Amino acid sequence: MFRQIWALFNKDILLEFRQKHTFYGILLYVASTIFVIYLSMMDNPDGQTWNSLFWVIQLFVCVNAVAKSFLQESKGRMLYFYSVASPVAFIISKLMYNIVLMLFMSLIGFVLCMIFLGNPLIDSWMFVGIVLLGGLGLSLVFTLMSAIAAKAQQNAALIAILGFPVILPQLLLLMKLSKAAFGEVFRGGAILQLVFITSMLDVLVITLAIILFPYLWKE
Amino acid sequence: MNKILLLIFSLFISFNLFAQNEIEMADTLRSNGKIFTVVAVCLTILLGLFLYVFMIDRKINKFEKEINKK
Amino acid sequence: MKNYWWKILSFILLVYTIVAGFLLKVPRLPILNETIRNLYFHVCMWMGMMILFSVSVVYSIKYLRNFNYKNDVFAVNFAAVGSLFGILGYLTGFLWVNVTWITDQGQSLASVLKEPKLIGAAIALLIYGAYFVLRGSFNDIDKRARISAVYNIFAFCMLFPSIWIIPRLVGSLHPGAPGSDSGNPALDRKDLDSSMRMVFYPAIIGWTLLGVWIATLKIRLQLLKDKNIIHE
Repeated sequence: MFRQIWALFNKDILLEFRQKHTFYGILLYVASTIFVIYLSMMDNPDGQTWNSLFWVIQLFVCVNAVAKSFLQESKGRMLYFYSVASPVAFIISKLMYNIVLMLFMSLIGFVLCMIFLGNPLIDSWMFVGIVLLGGLGLSLVFTLMSAIAAKAQQNAALIAILGFPVILPQLLLLMKLSKAAFGEVFRGGAILQLVFITSMLDVLVITLAIILFPYLWKE
Repeated sequence: MNKILLLIFSLFISFNLFAQNEIEMADTLRSNGKIFTVVAVCLTILLGLFLYVFMIDRKINKFEKEINKK
Repeated sequence: MKNYWWKILSFILLVYTIVAGFLLKVPRLPILNETIRNLYFHVCMWMGMMILFSVSVVYSIKYLRNFNYKNDVFAVNFAAVGSLFGILGYLTGFLWVNVTWITDQGQSLASVLKEPKLIGAAIALLIYGAYFVLRGSFNDIDKRARISAVYNIFAFCMLFPSIWIIPRLVGSLHPGAPGSDSGNPALDRKDLDSSMRMVFYPAIIGWTLLGVWIATLKIRLQLLKDKNIIHE
């Protein structure tokens, strides 16, 4: 089981290194989105705007980065995986791979935002932590959405439609949480509570993914 | 379209003015018994709605019997 | 005729709702005044919506257990009637908001719509909108049924934590906003007047039963139409 997961995970990473164009594509997407915002803003946005802009960028980057995880697999290859791997191993390896990808993209997005849009943060390290937490949650939800959308026909647009209402509470949670890094004072323990809720949501998503994915998998 | 919007808007404004007074309930409406008219209207609509749904129900029943016979 | 009792019950309960809802005494509250009677109609739409959506999810789970096409028909039609209730709830809520929350505190509509319950309801409606879009994108019936069932279950499971979370978030985003507590007695007030309860709970049951009736009509119609593809 673990060896299966590891092998599939390795294969995804290896594929990423082989076909660099998809990876650079997303990278360019992040950079150009932030650059457009940079050009359209006359001066650096204040903390509130910065925060919401950042999370909206994250959301769209995630849709694009994670979308291809299932779309890139051709039908024949899926059939092959179906015969050699269990669905649970497959979805876990996909989740892991997307988490790694999304965490990386989040960090890059964060750095670029700091460069282009200025730095209104009080506690940058804390914000990095929140960004990683957020990237984790986003990638989990959108992996499953991508798995669903891959089965439908017009899949690229479908991911956004399916995912947005589901991700909304999590996004609100993250925006609220990141206010702590802008120096807003919370009640004692409130930050830990928010982090706890977010991680519980992640656990819920993983559980649901493991339970539900085998049904998507059958052809 | 604009006129309708205006009408709805002015309706809300009149509600608004109405709400400015003390805790005002529709006591006059109640005391002179006109509230019963409102209840009657609503009941008629409800009755009509249910009759309609009931008719559809009957019709589907008939179809179900017909198709199952075949 | 043996299964008719709940349809009659629904009718009786709704007649009771209208008669008692208009004629019984209600607490005299500022801002709300007579509009508090909307509780029997508007709020019941939301309750009915949530109940119908829950029923839809139960049928989705059933579908994934035995892959019976009938369960999928049940799931989709309950979701459709639930969405209808949700839209009606939103429209009536819109009217009600205009005369209570907005006029009272001079808030803009946009700020009022950030109310947690409204966000929760909007998310629920968006989820089921996405559910129908997803269904529309399949040609294969079995595939459509299976995958939309998966989405239905997943989205519904995510809906509950969000309904629980959002009030904590949005409520605290607007500290001391007068609109958040004083303007909203019908939804938040724990001490709902006992005379109102006597009408409110039967009203929920009545409206929900009406929704179930309409849903069953749709289901029967679709089952008749798809008679040739159901093999039992």
